Amino acid sequence: MISVRGLKKHYRVHKRPPGLKAALKSLFKREYTTVPAVDGIDFEIKPGERVGFLGPNGAGKTTTLQVLAGLLYPSDGEVRVDGHLPQKREVAFLKKIMLVMGQKQQLLWDLPPSDTFELNRAIYDVPRDEAKKRVDGLIELLQIGDVVNKPTRQLSLGERMKCELAAALVHGPKVLFLDEPTIGLDVSMQVVMRDFIRTYNEQFGATLILTSHYMDDVAALCPRVIVIDKGQLSYDGGLDELVQRVRPEKRVAFRLSAAVPLSALEGLGKVVKNDGAEAVLQVPVEQVNAVVGKALQSLPVKDLTVENPPLEEVMSELFSRSRAEKGKAA
Amino acid sequence: MGRYLQLLKLQLRTSALLAAQYRWDFLIDGLISLVWAATAIAPLLIVYSGRSQTMIPGWSMNEALVVTGWFILLQAILEGAINPGLQAVVDHIRKGTLDFVLLKPADAQFLVSTSRFQLWRVVSVGTGIAVFFIAFGRMGRAPSPAGLAQATVLLCTATLVLYSMWILIVSTAFYVVKVDNLTYMFSSIFDAARWPSSVFRGVLKAVFTFVIPLALMTTWPAEALLGRLEPVTLVYAIAASLGFAAASRTVWLLSLRRYASAGG
Repeated sequence: MISVRGLKKHYRVHKRPPGLKAALKSLFKREYTTVPAVDGIDFEIKPGERVGFLGPNGAGKTTTLQVLAGLLYPSDGEVRVDGHLPQKREVAFLKKIMLVMGQKQQLLWDLPPSDTFELNRAIYDVPRDEAKKRVDGLIELLQIGDVVNKPTRQLSLGERMKCELAAALVHGPKVLFLDEPTIGLDVSMQVVMRDFIRTYNEQFGATLILTSHYMDDVAALCPRVIVIDKGQLSYDGGLDELVQRVRPEKRVAFRLSAAVPLSALEGLGKVVKNDGAEAVLQVPVEQVNAVVGKALQSLPVKDLTVENPPLEEVMSELFSRSRAEKGKAA
Repeated sequence: MGRYLQLLKLQLRTSALLAAQYRWDFLIDGLISLVWAATAIAPLLIVYSGRSQTMIPGWSMNEALVVTGWFILLQAILEGAINPGLQAVVDHIRKGTLDFVLLKPADAQFLVSTSRFQLWRVVSVGTGIAVFFIAFGRMGRAPSPAGLAQATVLLCTATLVLYSMWILIVSTAFYVVKVDNLTYMFSSIFDAARWPSSVFRGVLKAVFTFVIPLALMTTWPAEALLGRLEPVTLVYAIAASLGFAAASRTVWLLSLRRYASAGG
């Protein structure tokens, strides 16, 4: 469905040292430097896949997404989306894709979302009854029946984002580009959005690429992740394997009926937390069974859970590690 | 083509919905339009209040009033149909929402140009036409059918030139983010179109004929209505408007390309 080979996107920006003198000088003579936003990445995505783009700010995630959507010309390399070269922006291509940006909105501010739906229906040339069926389905799935006829400016952020999604789906796209779709939403609204996105993907077999700062979004939605750092691909594969690779450890959390001294825990593994009611240990995967067995014998355990370490931690470790490696190589 | 007509209809409908939401604008725009008309006519009255009856070479007061009528009419088109949509481009570029427009399977220039209309400016169109009636009433005659036909053609060419110049100005928004000053400058230059072009001499005359063809916008259509337009002028007007349209389209497309390969 999507194939990216050797994609590079370099920006030419003018470089200016700080200070007034330099600012005045730059009015007449400018020095330019090339900034590689994306510097040679390759990947393939199959139809119906849900893929998460991860990376720190400025890593090149959004740039990659914009190239895939045809908004930016690649500086080098080849990108194909369902057989199309995105930058040509052919009508057939544009009708297959959609882009939702959490920080930007396309809904008409002073009019109800239903008017934007109708405008998009006409622009995408969708037959009226087909559009009606689809929009009705979206309204039901997103539960926005009572908001689509209120002016957009009166809606809450969550309601507006739901309507943004609906507006972007009026033409029934096969490829969904979601750039931070849950930014600024509260936790319960994030869950609603995630459920909707997953349901849509399952029902229509749409291919989905998501960027998000909320690791929970990625964990809940994307079986496969692509990690981009400094414009380069640093990981492509399953989320679980990524966690395994970066942190081959599990977290064992015990709920305790009585407080235990730190010394009783230290022999079992690395202590992450011990506040009397709960103790959390970090334990190598192969030792989990042994540690759990020992703990049940020696500690007043009410309940226990075994989990992966939080994704945020895994990510920050991955990024700092890749920086350190690059630093060494340089 | 049929699809674009349908889209235009829908965009007009959207603007109508907006206009209906702000219905007090009707009253305010009506009042503003009358004030504008008065300020457009006042300088004429001052110029012609002297003893001589032809202060502007070749134009009696009533004839000059026809030029003023065209000025009011074109200003209404500029502010009602051209300016709002293209102002939207500037906003899109600043907010980064132009991406949504570019992802639509329809021509981006068409979409932004038709995205907003200030429908209450129709009042000003009415005012402009009323000025024609007053001017011809005072002259005691009516335009000939041929004159009306020529004037209609010139209305189209004038609108096309005005629109193209606006596109050229807005295209600069891709290079410099603040174009407010440029649009103000254009508005004040356009202000000179309230006078018959024969008031300008020398360099100004050349500029207003070839660079910013103000004569094409108000003087020629007025001459057409008055029945004294050289027919060959029509050919010039059509050629000039097509030239402007082609140039502005080219610049627009180049600017979009720049946006796509630099943006972000």
